[in-house]
Amino acid sequence: MGLATLASTELVRASNARFRVNVLISRCKECGICISVCPTKVLVRSDKYNKYGFRYPEPANIAKCIGCRLCEFNCPDFAVFVEVIGK
Amino acid sequence: MVVGSVYERGAHPLDKYLRVTRLPHIWCPGCGLGIALGGILRAIDRRISEGMLKKENVVFVTGIGCSARTSFYANFDAAHTLHGRAIAFATGAKLAKPELDVIVIGGDGDIAGIGGNHLIHAARRNMDLIVIMITNFVYAMTGGQVAPTTPQGIYTTTTPHGNPEFPLNVIKLVSSLNPNYVARASVTHPPLVEQFMYRALGMKGFRFVEILSTCPEVFGRHVGLRDSVTLYNTLRSKVVVKHNPGVEESEPDWEKGLVAGEFLVRDRPGYLEMLRRR
Repeated sequence: MGLATLASTELVRASNARFRVNVLISRCKECGICISVCPTKVLVRSDKYNKYGFRYPEPANIAKCIGCRLCEFNCPDFAVFVEVIGK
Repeated sequence: MVVGSVYERGAHPLDKYLRVTRLPHIWCPGCGLGIALGGILRAIDRRISEGMLKKENVVFVTGIGCSARTSFYANFDAAHTLHGRAIAFATGAKLAKPELDVIVIGGDGDIAGIGGNHLIHAARRNMDLIVIMITNFVYAMTGGQVAPTTPQGIYTTTTPHGNPEFPLNVIKLVSSLNPNYVARASVTHPPLVEQFMYRALGMKGFRFVEILSTCPEVFGRHVGLRDSVTLYNTLRSKVVVKHNPGVEESEPDWEKGLVAGEFLVRDRPGYLEMLRRR
């Protein structure tokens, strides 16, 4: 379990006062669904690549996140998830 | 923005139900199967946290196809069986050990095409199973041949002038038998997948959930929707969610739209209950 788990949990994250958006980098396949479903356009496609050659999304406009979790529900690759960190 | 790594196991909330060493999965970018599996696992998570379900009693039974790979990624007991014979295998497992909660997952080719006969007879007996049919309208893994559920006029590999056949309406077929629950969800509305699956897990008897899915690589290529976001938005615009729709509204028509909702909810005794009465 150990090594592969560590390799697959490299992530990029950002948080505002209430929510933290996490993207597990190596699981992303650049389908773009999370970027298109986000109602406030928090996620932006990165110009960096993961180890499989896909450009993963980054929570660049995190201040606008309203915590609807549509990106988490709509990610086919279990790569994006949102945590509630404050009221 | 911080880039780092987490060293504790289970970063994603669904990681406890996934075989994380097998991720990323083999499904193409933009495939709806991952969204459907996520909705199913969230419903199972809610039922487990309520104490209605035990993790060690959940069994995934799958046939052959892209959708059959779900049993490889969900961290439950699973059987990967013959093409179309998943329901027959699941019936045997349920009868041998009635405390199991058997979930059959298959595609439209697996459940409605090759395993259509098993579907009919499991529904006729009101067998205590959950059958999830993930519909992408073609036989995708074998190269995009026409499937029984392909709507009329759709271009596929084997129908280059548009599909001339009438599609099989699986919702109507199953509703005409003796099931307890028939519903249709769509991966473009993930909370619906979770809600219908959550409801199905709390019932007995035969429960059938159809999940409309996106296949940009094979289905979308021939209909001109190769981009995963375009196909996702197109399917979302075609899905009409209704509260308690009638069975007659369930015709799979790509032009007029596809109705999603709970078509049939009954509380009839399941097969095991009937068996014990004898």
